[in-house]
Amino acid sequence: MRNYQSQPEQGVGEPRVKDPSEERGRITVNEGKPRPLFFTGKRPKRDRHSRHKVSFFHFRNYEPAFKYFTEQVLDADFVPTPTPTRATIKRGEEMSADYVCTPFKHIIGDYAAALDQGADTLVQVTGFCRLNYYGELQEMILRDAGYDNFQMLNFSDVATGKVRDYVAYCKKVVNPNLSIPNGVKNLLGAYRMVEHIDAFRDRYLANAGFEVEHGSFDRVRKEFISAMNAATCNADIEDGFRRAMDALDALPTRKPVDPVRVAIVGEYYTAQDPNSNLDLEQKLLDMGVEVANYMSISNFNLHYNAKAMQASIAEYSSYDMGPTSTFNIAYAKRAAEQGVDGIVHIKSAGCTPEIDVMPVLQRLSRDYHVPVLFLTFDTQTSDAGLDTRLEAFYDMIAMRKVR
Amino acid sequence: MEAYLGIDTGSISTKGVVIGPDKKIIARSYLWTEGDPSGAVRRVVDDLRSQIDLNEVHVMSIGTTGSARRLVGAMLDAQVVKNEITAHAVGTTFLHPDVRTILEIGGQDSKIICIENGIAVDYAMNTLCAAGTGSFLSSQAHRLGVEVEEFGEIALTSEKPANIAARCTVFAESDLVHKLQVGYEKKDVIAGLCRAVATNYLNNVGKGKKIESPVVFQGGVSKNVGVVHAFEEALGKKVIVDPDGHLMGCFGAALLAADAPKMRDEPFKFDIDDFEFRTREVVCGHCANHCEIVCVYRDQDLIDSWGNRCDRGAIKVK
Repeated sequence: MRNYQSQPEQGVGEPRVKDPSEERGRITVNEGKPRPLFFTGKRPKRDRHSRHKVSFFHFRNYEPAFKYFTEQVLDADFVPTPTPTRATIKRGEEMSADYVCTPFKHIIGDYAAALDQGADTLVQVTGFCRLNYYGELQEMILRDAGYDNFQMLNFSDVATGKVRDYVAYCKKVVNPNLSIPNGVKNLLGAYRMVEHIDAFRDRYLANAGFEVEHGSFDRVRKEFISAMNAATCNADIEDGFRRAMDALDALPTRKPVDPVRVAIVGEYYTAQDPNSNLDLEQKLLDMGVEVANYMSISNFNLHYNAKAMQASIAEYSSYDMGPTSTFNIAYAKRAAEQGVDGIVHIKSAGCTPEIDVMPVLQRLSRDYHVPVLFLTFDTQTSDAGLDTRLEAFYDMIAMRKVR
Repeated sequence: MEAYLGIDTGSISTKGVVIGPDKKIIARSYLWTEGDPSGAVRRVVDDLRSQIDLNEVHVMSIGTTGSARRLVGAMLDAQVVKNEITAHAVGTTFLHPDVRTILEIGGQDSKIICIENGIAVDYAMNTLCAAGTGSFLSSQAHRLGVEVEEFGEIALTSEKPANIAARCTVFAESDLVHKLQVGYEKKDVIAGLCRAVATNYLNNVGKGKKIESPVVFQGGVSKNVGVVHAFEEALGKKVIVDPDGHLMGCFGAALLAADAPKMRDEPFKFDIDDFEFRTREVVCGHCANHCEIVCVYRDQDLIDSWGNRCDRGAIKVK
């Protein structure tokens, strides 16, 4: 590749010294490949393919898995989304309608930031609610906002749901030379990585509230995520995970025999993403609580048995009420049966399926005598109200436990 | 005599009590916050000081609560800084040990606390909407040209309360204007408004909660007999209103202060007028998050700061 960057000896405002070949016009020659004799039209895409720069939205700490998927499965470049800040959220808010679900605002803010970083392909996933329309809407909004040099890898464009069609779609949009055997092998690696990230999170939430040295758990978590970010093969993933888990177990803790335990259920994105729920998990951990957050890709996508879940809550709900409703009721029930001290239910403002879940959880709360705290999040940045509610909730369940 | 001070700084009013060793209230104060919590606290502290003899009463511990609890806690060097829900539960269960449900409607928020065997087991707080709170009532009183304090008595004189949509402040307001324009009597509209507050509360905050007797109603709005009556009608139960119901938050804070693990080294001298308290808002520039950090100064010394989200913007307090 020739370097068209400005030259060091070139002064400001002076025209760039052109290479002789440029004067003749740009002709690209595929070295080593004979020019076709008969086909003189547009060359097939696989021959004029340049690597795409793919970016996902920010979602909890799954970035390493997204990166692995992009680099090892799609065989494209990965552009990490910068850590969301108030500016990102504000941007997303400006680009979306006021009454859209909150994750939409966060995600479109991330997309804008990713495009500013030079990404040219944005990935959006598919789901069971309005999430299906997110990709298309976000693409239109971004184009209206003046971003025109990008494409969407929007999985809800694949209507059939067949693996073959997903592969064909990825080939069409991102990489026509995608290798199927390699892709399948590495997709399993990405699955493993997601499982490991979730397993690590669960162990972290159970113990980090009782750390002896402040910040020690967070340090191990950061090390784990950077090890996952650096992984390029299955061995790296397994090795990094095992070392991180050992390091986590080796940290000293001051955990009482019967700690205050809180379970978190709720809307898929907001319940998991610390940026969306004002770092609720950490706030609970800081109070010295053992936290269990059931919502994760592993629990909801990889190991989800819809039939068994529905059967386990037959007495509370006869029908599935939308994306995560059955899941949340089932896990809240499981938590109540295991004797947690409190359940926190999280939803984004205007999430209809989760509003339907609330009366059921209230019944659960009465039946099992476990308090449920309902929290609604929008793109607010002040956490004073949240702190008041959480503190009161903690005081309440802690006092109940003492008696 | 050892005593304990509790201060509750809410959005509309600031309350303070001093309790003795027998947990009886020996001084009380109730003033408007007027958007200036630190000024209101000074006035409340001065008011309390005038009611007690400092040579006899030694305030050994201070508790603060309410939405400005942190600021006030820093100003008074408080031993206990607690959220208002816990403070209310503690205060009320002390005075009414058998209470099962606490209804609380304040200036800008409303909450319900369910209690079993003297312990809070469930609570809810209004989230997105301020309909049916004290500030709504006072703005409607202003519209009707009636003092909010007289609201309750006027409502009780009505025989046929008007039906006012209670779902949302905006709807309630347009409904109210409509009812007035078509010729409803003012007292009927006021009674309807009181009923709307009760219905709104029960449909939003109290939704899904089992309301069992004895029911205690407190907060500023509990002083409105019209709303109390509307609650009794809606619930079909007797609703207890304590004469000190509006002070329950600061009473709870004082009780918590009395149980504080560590007392003050020397009694509180009620001398906050001698210091100048200043708050300064700093926007941290270390990353794009732009945390708004609030620093509180006593004269020239930084005594507390909050609002910071990460280590980079940490402001150390000596």
